[in-house]
Amino acid sequence: MVIVKRKTLTLAERLYLPEILRGMSITFGKMFKPKITRQYPEEPLPTNEVTRGQPRLRALVDGNLACVSCGLCEAACPAYAITIDGQETDRFIEREPEKFEIDMLRCILCGFCEEACPKEAIFMSTELELAGFTRASFKYGIDKLKRSTEELAPRMEYIKRINQRW
Amino acid sequence: MTKIIVNGREVEADPQKPLIAACHEHGEHVPHYCYHPGLSVVGSCRICQVEVKQGEMPARVVAACRTPVAEGMVVNTESQGAHDSRRECLEFLLKNHPLDCPICDKAGECTLQDYSFQEAQAEGRTSEPRRKLEKRKDLGDVILLDQERCILCSRCVRFMDEVPKSPQLCISGRGSHSVVETWQDAPLTGNYQGNLADVCPVGALTLKDFRFQARVWNLTRVPSTCSECSRGCSISVEVLRDGEVKRMRPRPNEDVNGYWMCDHGRFSEGELNRSDRMGPAAMRNDAGQLEAADPHDALRVVRNLLSIQSNALFLASPYLTLEEGEAFSQLAKSCSTQAAFFSPEPNELGDDVLHTGDPCPNRRGLQEAGLKPMDSEEWAAASASADCVLLVGERLLDMLGDEALDALPTAQRLVVMECRTSNHPAIDIAMGVPNRVERSGTWINVDGTPGAIRAARSAPQGVRTIVDLLGSLTSASGQPEEALSS
Repeated sequence: MVIVKRKTLTLAERLYLPEILRGMSITFGKMFKPKITRQYPEEPLPTNEVTRGQPRLRALVDGNLACVSCGLCEAACPAYAITIDGQETDRFIEREPEKFEIDMLRCILCGFCEEACPKEAIFMSTELELAGFTRASFKYGIDKLKRSTEELAPRMEYIKRINQRW
Repeated sequence: MTKIIVNGREVEADPQKPLIAACHEHGEHVPHYCYHPGLSVVGSCRICQVEVKQGEMPARVVAACRTPVAEGMVVNTESQGAHDSRRECLEFLLKNHPLDCPICDKAGECTLQDYSFQEAQAEGRTSEPRRKLEKRKDLGDVILLDQERCILCSRCVRFMDEVPKSPQLCISGRGSHSVVETWQDAPLTGNYQGNLADVCPVGALTLKDFRFQARVWNLTRVPSTCSECSRGCSISVEVLRDGEVKRMRPRPNEDVNGYWMCDHGRFSEGELNRSDRMGPAAMRNDAGQLEAADPHDALRVVRNLLSIQSNALFLASPYLTLEEGEAFSQLAKSCSTQAAFFSPEPNELGDDVLHTGDPCPNRRGLQEAGLKPMDSEEWAAASASADCVLLVGERLLDMLGDEALDALPTAQRLVVMECRTSNHPAIDIAMGVPNRVERSGTWINVDGTPGAIRAARSAPQGVRTIVDLLGSLTSASGQPEEALSS
């Protein structure tokens, strides 16, 4: 058994009102100072090209994906989130993904896929929000992953810049 | 045997074989493109250079594939001179090689990739553009040629000359204009074209069937045996994500197939990937429809059927393994009858290379297990008089054909253990079994050499092996039903 010794209260504390006034002064003092909290869903977080959000696939100007389904991101993915099946095309680039699926529940946003990609086809976007009602809805296919080159351009520039360091 | 020293180790080498074979045999890997143990030696790629010191001569770098083994040779595969020579060779080989590894199907099992990574310098020194050639040259039904990727090792040319003995490919042109071609772009013919994709050390000759189907590092490779003829070539079955069989490739086996297999066996995966697989069990209900049933119930009904029958016919598929054949034979014996296996007509694919033309991969094994071969005429006679027929094994329904089932007497009970579903009205009880890439066992080939088949993927949910099903019927057949409740 442990005996906890209570501190005996001073007279001012026992009078109750001075302590209440002290507390209220802090409350009202903060009320008129500038706010530091963010109203999150209404005010989204600021992002820039360094933000490592969910991976997205880059589409070329002609609308086709830059991806040739080489499978390196799939092999690099430490969380086994990526599944790719390839198919033949009629274009000069002989192969494109038939199925490119990222399980966003498995994805840990590590950016290894972006690093592994030899075709500048997958980039970490600034999109961070993820919500859904079923597990299946978190399996993002090409339709949900495709982004235009302009949208991913800042990140592309950033990756090129940091890759020049080594 | 000749004594040589390889990397400081004294080893015995076969003087009939080149130096590179002796090095490989004793675990010293020497890079090679044009050398293939199953083909003649040309020494054109020069990547296999090793340093050899013989007698009083100073050490010099030679091509290991072109050098015969001689007594007292001192070989160093890792000397600086050898590495330098290989690096310089690689620089020439890579000079015109396109940088399309992300697209190329060979990536991951390409020796040009491997040796470039090991030996070559990271950056090219040439500023000239790479040569532009045909990237999708059609060479018939099986093979697609990418001339840009070709490193002109001539393995494909020698293969066509030496193994199926039908010279159809040649290297035409000179210098950097050399390309692999067929005469006047004629399509390739023959039953051994698929091997071209295997002998090609780069991604120049690829299988149309496997084109962009999978990345090779995602495939699970399981050693197995080919099912399409009684030769029983050793193969490796390659499965993607425990699902489809994507390709089958020969596995070197001196006793059976050397390094090759035929296209008939290679492209037989369609049968294995079919989607209409039989569930664990189905029984015909009162409305006359086959309805999914509990496998225990189905087995109980089959047991009762076998215990009350007087004249049952036991017919196995020729794809049954030795072990399953034994189990089937036991079951037939316990019902005091003779088990048989269906023996289809020989096909016209037989040749003097590998294919025997006999479609039963385990004819000898099943005969040893006590099953007698039964052709379609014998089947027609035997099935007409039987009051119960038990068909066991994959592809048996296809081999017999629907007409054979149509001809069965209506009062007869038909029990089928098959891989695929069938809605044929003659079937009373159907049970699913694993196919030949989902179970393990032994086949005995035409020469009496055993070949193992091994499970490369899991069987459909709830499906039990044939040995298991037959075993549970054997242990209980002829006994009252009460004793069987499991």
